[in-house]
This record gives sequence, C-alpha cells and structure tokens, in this order.
Amino acid sequence: MLLPQFFQSLDISILEKYTDEVLKVNEKTKQYGLVLTSNEIKDMIISRNQILYNYGRVETDISVIKELAEVFCTSPYIDNKNYQLTLNELQEIFYYMKNETEDRISDSQLVDIIREYFDGVCGGSLELLKSKLDEFAQRFRSDVRFRKSVFEGDEHLWD
Amino acid sequence: MGLEKQHNDLLLVKQKKINNIQLLRNQYTISLLNVGLREGLLNSQEMYEVQIQLMQILKESIRRYTREESSSISSDVAEEILTSILYAVDAFLFQLGDPENAINFVKKNNMEITYEQGVKIVKDCLEETRALFKEIRNNKLDVAVDSYNITIDESIPLFLKKYEVVFDAHNTMASIDYPLAIDDMTIQGVYYLKQYLTYLKIETEFCQMFNQDDLRDLLVNYGRMCGFDYRIELFNIFELVLNNAVFSVLSGELPSRIRISVQQYKEIKNLFSNISDSQIQLIILEAVEKLLHHFNISDSLMSYYIKQCGINLAKRLKSVVKHNRLQTVVILEQELKTPPLTTFNASDRMSDHRFRLLIEKIMNCEKSVDKIDIIRTNFHSLHDYIDILNTDCLLNDEYEELFKTFGDVELAILTKIVFYEELRNNSIYLSSPNIRKREIESEWQDQFIKFINKIHPSRKSVIQQYVYEIDYEEISFY
Repeated sequence: MLLPQFFQSLDISILEKYTDEVLKVNEKTKQYGLVLTSNEIKDMIISRNQILYNYGRVETDISVIKELAEVFCTSPYIDNKNYQLTLNELQEIFYYMKNETEDRISDSQLVDIIREYFDGVCGGSLELLKSKLDEFAQRFRSDVRFRKSVFEGDEHLWD
Repeated sequence: MGLEKQHNDLLLVKQKKINNIQLLRNQYTISLLNVGLREGLLNSQEMYEVQIQLMQILKESIRRYTREESSSISSDVAEEILTSILYAVDAFLFQLGDPENAINFVKKNNMEITYEQGVKIVKDCLEETRALFKEIRNNKLDVAVDSYNITIDESIPLFLKKYEVVFDAHNTMASIDYPLAIDDMTIQGVYYLKQYLTYLKIETEFCQMFNQDDLRDLLVNYGRMCGFDYRIELFNIFELVLNNAVFSVLSGELPSRIRISVQQYKEIKNLFSNISDSQIQLIILEAVEKLLHHFNISDSLMSYYIKQCGINLAKRLKSVVKHNRLQTVVILEQELKTPPLTTFNASDRMSDHRFRLLIEKIMNCEKSVDKIDIIRTNFHSLHDYIDILNTDCLLNDEYEELFKTFGDVELAILTKIVFYEELRNNSIYLSSPNIRKREIESEWQDQFIKFINKIHPSRKSVIQQYVYEIDYEEISFY
C-alpha cells in the first residue's frame, strides 16, 4: 500500500496551508528573536516528510513542527542563526524517539522531555542529546519502574 | 413466460458493465473503484475525491486511536486502521448488491456516510454472531475432542470479547483450531466468525440427531483406526458422522445407525468394486438424499451443506476406491476390549509438594539402586513418572535400571508416548533391530529408545502387541 506516500504527497495547496500554520508561530517566537521565513518552513516540511518516510511513520497534521518551535524558542542554546537547523534536527530526533519509545509517550510530553535533556544535561549539544535520548529510550523500554516515573513526571529519575 | 423472463435477465446481465465475479470480496471497495474507473463508470477526479475522503476518515480515526495525544503513528498501524475502515466500507457497499448501484452511491455520497453505515453493519453482524454463538454453546456436543471444546469454550469467547470494530475490524485474531467440513478462510474479521459459527451450528445440529453414545464410540473407533489419540487430534466430527451415516444407507441400514459392522463393510466394499467415478458420485448423492429425507431436514442451508459434504465424500471415495483403501474412510465398529493391567494408576498422583520432596531425596542418593527404589516405591501414576523422567534427576545407566523394573504393559505405554507421531503415521515397527526417532524431545526418551533396542526380539513382539491393544484414551495421562 502506498499509504506513507499518499499522506506525505504535497500538493501545493497543502504545502501553503501548512506553511501558513507554522508562520503563525513566529508571532510567539519573534519576542525571543527567532523567526522562520516561508522558504525555511517549506524546507522543514519537505524534510519532515522525508524523515517520516524514513522512520515508517505517517502524520495527520503539522503540529509537531509548531510545538517544537513554541517550546524551544525559550531555550538559551538557540538563536536565530541556528534556529532552523536545530529545529530540523529536533524533528528528526522527535520521530526517532516516537519509534524508540514505541508510541507510548504523548507528543507534548516527548517534546518536554527532549527540551529537558537539551537544556539540561546536554547543554545544547545535539550530538549529546541523541546519545542521551538513546539511553533514555533503552531504559524506557526495559525498565518498568523508570517507565512509570516518566509517566508520573519524576524528572530526577531520568538522569 | 418463464423463458422470456430468463431472456430479459440475460440481457440485463449483458448490459451491466460490472458484475460481482470481477470483484474481490476481501477488497470489495478497492476492486469496485478500479473496475468502475476502467469501465468509465467514474472518472479519475471522482476516484481522487474518494481517496481524499478516505484519508480524511483515516486522519480522524488516527486522532481517535491516539486519543489526540499523538499526531503521528507508524505506517503499519495506519495501514491496519485503513484496512479496518475499508472493511466497514466494504460491508456497506457489498450489501447494496448490484456493483453499479454501489458506484452510484459512492458518487452521490461522501465516504463518511458509507463508512458510518458500514460500521453499523459490522456492529450488527457482531451482535448476530454473538447470538449465534450462544445457541451453539447451549447445544454443544458432549465429546472429549480438545480442539472442539477449546474452540467453543475459550477461543470464540475471546474473539468476541476482543473484537475491535473501529480499528481492527478485518482482523481474525482468534486461534480457532477446530476444523469445519467446509470453511472459506478467505473471509476476514467478524464475517469469517459468523460464517464459521453458521456452519458449526449446522454441523452440531446434525450431530445431535444421532445417538450420542454411538457418536462417542465412533470417535473412539476413529482413534483406533488411525492409531492416534482422537482427543488431541484435529479432525471434523460432523464429517465422520455424515460419512458413516451415508455408508449405513449404502449397506441397507438406516442413516441414524452409524455403527458399521464388518459385514456391512463387506457389502460397502462389494458395492464399490467395479464401479465408475460418475456412479460413485451418483450413489453417494442418492444416499445423502435418503438421509435428508430420513431426518426430515428441510432447512435449505443445512441440506445444501450436507450435499456439498456428500460431493466431497464422493471425490475422496473415487481416490480411495482406486487405491483400494476404503478402510481409511469407513469407521468400523470395534469390539470393546478389556485394557491390559498396568501398575500405573492415575488416581495415585502425588501432590506437588510431595513430588518436590522426593526429587530432592533422589538427587541426594549416591547409589543408583537407592534412586530406583525410591521411585518404584513412591511413584504410581504415569503422570508422575513422566514428570520425574523430565526432571533429569537420573543419570545415564540409571534410566536403564529404572526401565528394567517396568513390565511389558508399562513399556508399551511409554512406547506409545515416545513414538506417538511414528505410530500415528505407521512409520515404525518395534520389531526392527534399530528403531529411531527423528526428533528426540528429552534425555529420558533417548535413553528409552536405547533400552528398547536392547530388548530381546520375543519380548519386543509382546510389547508391540500391547502397543496396538492399548488405546490412548485408556492412558490416563492427557
């Protein structure tokens, strides 16, 4: 079945609609000096589709890019120079983690977890973030107590 | 007048661009749209709109599936949900009957409506299936066939409990082991179960028309005929009953009498000697008609089902008659035998606690003779013996020492357990100098085979005789 292709197939109208949706997020992020241009957003949406395809996932809307932008705009490690690049990396990490945590963590909670690690133990390093989140996912799958702590929001157990 | 109507019907069929033969029942909507597009009944824009509408339904379903907590899911899950959506859409469009009507409906209505109607139909089907199952459970046969009992007592209730109309309607995740005489396994989801139960109801009702002691004895004789434990094998009870009822008619008896004597068998054999294939089919179908009349079976589906099984029997008979193997189809009444005496006694099975204590005691013995003595003094049931053999608490020669203490009947019982598959396939002769088993399941079985191979041929033949005399149901182990 060509389901992923169908979901990700971008006719111009959908690309424009999604771009408009993400552009609205600039209203919130510009107070932190972070703004995405229409072209940057379009590039991100195209990357997102490739990432989803690579990870064997389908998505019904564009909410993840929007949420990542809204949550990470206050990070001390993001400025307008690395904003788009970081968001692109973060969306790849996000879908990777959705798979690795077997879809058991909600989008919002997962974005919060990624943010905690990024700003905290990883000090804004995307490389370190990937490795730490890998450990997180491994523990999440194998350790029932840890999994419970994640759902209950016991952040001190994550380190 | 009748002929004129037939002619008009024929013209109508010719005028239709699609008929159901061109369509796949399991992918009805997809094949309907594809054939419709090919035949010009809908255009590519309409086809595209249908796909967009289906994707909208899928998006909504994904939102419900993730409880709006996730905007993405794995493609595999999405495909399962889409298949489930199409299952419901299929249900609705298929019941419209005429494929061209179905296409018109799709063109005039949003797929959302079709889907919602379809879900309702699937839900109704589930309710009908539940009611059907209730009838079957109330009318269940009292037989010791595990697959029949487990299917009715466990597998189907589990299916009915777990069946998911919205996200997994196409799934037939029940482990239904009991085989029907006729079964269309290409059908999926609750429609499969409904069909399965419809046929099972027919089979059960038919079997209930016979004397139930006769039926249970038929099963025992079937087990003897095949050299297996009928209780754990997969076979269809109805077919055995129907076949013997047909053979009863063919030997001049009433169809209600399913006990076939040696004399009757001779008559049946005579009947089939020098007979053509077409004659075989003819006499079987005649016998089936007599049977239907005898039991006053007027239900059209039941009589159709029985006739189809009669045709299947005729096909099988053509082959067995040709190869002179009629004895593999006719189940003969066998005389009741007195089971040989054995020291194994099922009622003397010990408690788990006592079993563990004795194992510990055996493990602490230094001398083999003491180990054997503890076993022979304390163990009585076959079940306990098999358990202790499986614990590997004996070493090498100790197995032989233990087997030496058994009598011929006990060794025959163990032989029937160790060589179950081989005896079932008639692929083993104990009298052979070096008997082997393809897959040895445990150390004790390996040691047992070595022991049996060392036995004097005269004793082996005595054991072999017992092997054929003891029925599996007499071994109170399973």
